[in-house]
Amino acid sequence: MNSMNNIEHVQSLMKDICSPIKENIIDQFQIAYELKQDDIHKTLGYLKNAGWIQLSYLSAVDWPDTNEIEVVYILMNWKKPVHIQLRTRIDRENPVMPSIISIYEGAKYYEREAHEFFGVKFPGNPDYEKQLILEKWDDMPPMRKDFDPRQYSDAHFVGREYSHDFTELNNQPSKQAKRQQRKTRINSLDKGGK
Amino acid sequence: MKSTKFTELTQEQIDRKWWEIGDFFRRNSLWMLMYCTGCCAIELPPAMTSAYDMERLGMGPMATPRQADVLLVTGYLSLKTLRRLIYTYEQMSEPKYIVGFGSCTINGGIYHDSHVVINRLDRYVPVDVYVAGCMPNTEAVMNGFVDLMDLIKSKKADGWKRYHDNYDWYKKNQEEALGEVRIKDEFHE
Repeated sequence: MNSMNNIEHVQSLMKDICSPIKENIIDQFQIAYELKQDDIHKTLGYLKNAGWIQLSYLSAVDWPDTNEIEVVYILMNWKKPVHIQLRTRIDRENPVMPSIISIYEGAKYYEREAHEFFGVKFPGNPDYEKQLILEKWDDMPPMRKDFDPRQYSDAHFVGREYSHDFTELNNQPSKQAKRQQRKTRINSLDKGGK
Repeated sequence: MKSTKFTELTQEQIDRKWWEIGDFFRRNSLWMLMYCTGCCAIELPPAMTSAYDMERLGMGPMATPRQADVLLVTGYLSLKTLRRLIYTYEQMSEPKYIVGFGSCTINGGIYHDSHVVINRLDRYVPVDVYVAGCMPNTEAVMNGFVDLMDLIKSKKADGWKRYHDNYDWYKKNQEEALGEVRIKDEFHE
């Protein structure tokens, strides 16, 4: 056994592979890296050989403000108790991330899911465009931040109509209006009460 | 002295009497098929075990849809589960009843604005009894079952007849939401 702890071991490994944009040590069991898109495959392949044989998660995060989509990979090692998270940011308008099924075969279904929910394209995966969970989908990917689920639900699933008596109780102002008032007040506090 | 004469009954009346006798036994031995897709299913263990002991009402679980009388829909249904629910419901032998649990089956509940969860169950299959609440407590659940028995007694639990009579309407709604009710995915091929 060497004297290095697991996090230092990962850091020394990563030094050999590529230069991460950002490093973030979460605790002694977790470490996160932000990489350039081109470095992802190289790093995943290297880490798989180094013992991180399991891809426990692959998903995406939508960042509409910077017009980017972040693809996240989480790797797990059965010998060393440390999870590695790799992230990379890609363009939001045309998100293309080459598939990693040549490295981790199980990513096949994760990639299909990410395509379904975030619209990320995974060339290299033969059926990333097949539907996995959603059925009869005819709108933008639903986990994008600018998707409005309320509008979609109203358009596709008929709700129950209630008469006026059920929705307005004893001339009380509705809770929705109260909630809105509270929200505007909280927002105004940010700007010094204006 | 009481007359021993009795009027001759028509075949229709005789059938109705037999049906009433059948209803008596049916409502006292309801076998449930539990479609536990939602969180309201957590109310069933206390209702079934010694705390409320559902079996004193003559109710018990049944493993297959063909032998069950009541279909319990416990909570929200996504399009995928709705497809399976319709399959299950159509497999059940008549008379059959549906009990809808929680606000999700009534109007969508907290999932009213979800992009995959249907809002009203009774557009797709006929519901006999709703147990309102999010989630309903166990007394409400038991009360719902007693209500169902009363409805069977007073011949108002006629959801399966409504399903026959308005089959086109139900089918239209189902196809509107699901496209085709047939289960078609790569894991079943």
